[in-house]
Amino acid sequence: MRLGRYLQAFSLVALAVLLAVALTYKGLGDLPNPAVRDLALWYLYTTLNPEVPNMTVMSPEAVTAIVWDYRGLDTLFETMVFFLAIVGALAIMRGITLNEGGEGLHIERYGLSLITKTATKLLVPLIIGVSASIALHGHLTPGGGFQGGSAAAVAPLLVLVIFSTYYVVFKLRLSELSMISLRTLGLMGIYMTSFATLILGLVIGVNAYIFQNMPKANAFIGLPPALGGSLISGTLFFFNLFEFFAVAAGFTLVFILLSIPEVKAREVLKGEEHGH
Amino acid sequence: MIEPKLISYLFMAVAGALSLIATYLAVIEKDLVKAVIYSAIQSTAYTILFYLLMAPDIALVYIPVAVGLYPAVVFFLIKKTERFEESG
Repeated sequence: MRLGRYLQAFSLVALAVLLAVALTYKGLGDLPNPAVRDLALWYLYTTLNPEVPNMTVMSPEAVTAIVWDYRGLDTLFETMVFFLAIVGALAIMRGITLNEGGEGLHIERYGLSLITKTATKLLVPLIIGVSASIALHGHLTPGGGFQGGSAAAVAPLLVLVIFSTYYVVFKLRLSELSMISLRTLGLMGIYMTSFATLILGLVIGVNAYIFQNMPKANAFIGLPPALGGSLISGTLFFFNLFEFFAVAAGFTLVFILLSIPEVKAREVLKGEEHGH
Repeated sequence: MIEPKLISYLFMAVAGALSLIATYLAVIEKDLVKAVIYSAIQSTAYTILFYLLMAPDIALVYIPVAVGLYPAVVFFLIKKTERFEESG
């Protein structure tokens, strides 16, 4: 038994070392062609460069520029995958809800100790502030809608665990329905932003594309790169903002559903079996 | 004089080794709550690696997802099922 454990550990270390050696001596095939790096150089050259007006994204953050502009469709479909995952969770948990029965509960008796609750009260505004900064500065500094949204989802998660589900649902009024509404609002925002330039082009009567951000060679219209003197990089700011809401609300929704006591879930499932 | 690049490589090696140890412990651990904590330690090591490999965007999303949200989901599921893995 003991020898087996040593063998397991040794084989893991040996695997790591051998993989490193193989990669160093190109044992797993050649490394990617350096010519691929020209593409990266092109992104870096055009990402914030007013001298190439039909190519630039007007965002100093090349990663967000790639995620929401150069390769924006990939991110749109990623958002769709996340949307479907949440729909799946909702479909499995259908009918299981905490929306009623909160009147007679002593909510303050649930949850962890007073020390933990006070520390959480101090932490939650900080988490929300940092996550909003990550999301709203996504076009300027590392970060973006998904990063900010998932960081923001940690705040309701802490409250759920430390103050109990009843506190979140009955005191803070963060029910499943309000989370679904917030999430739909975010997704509608992403949808509208991807059509914004096209609608603008149709109204003015010039050529424009779906998912277009800055003016292109045969479509001279685009969203403004700056508003009131501060850089918003056209669609990037709005995509990050709406993605922030969609992701934060989506995660919070799943956590509210997961934290509903098993007894409640059983009641609903039993009801289904008896045909109620 | 040690070059800054060498120090960064050294940190990467330490983080990589830490992640390997944490992964091994997470796999062999029978108490699933402890296994999730080992998994979070492994993710922290990966976050250091991502940061040193100049991917701060990934590091930013990796911290809340791998240390906050993912362990939370697994903890909820452990609470709904069983905490200890049966030997055999």
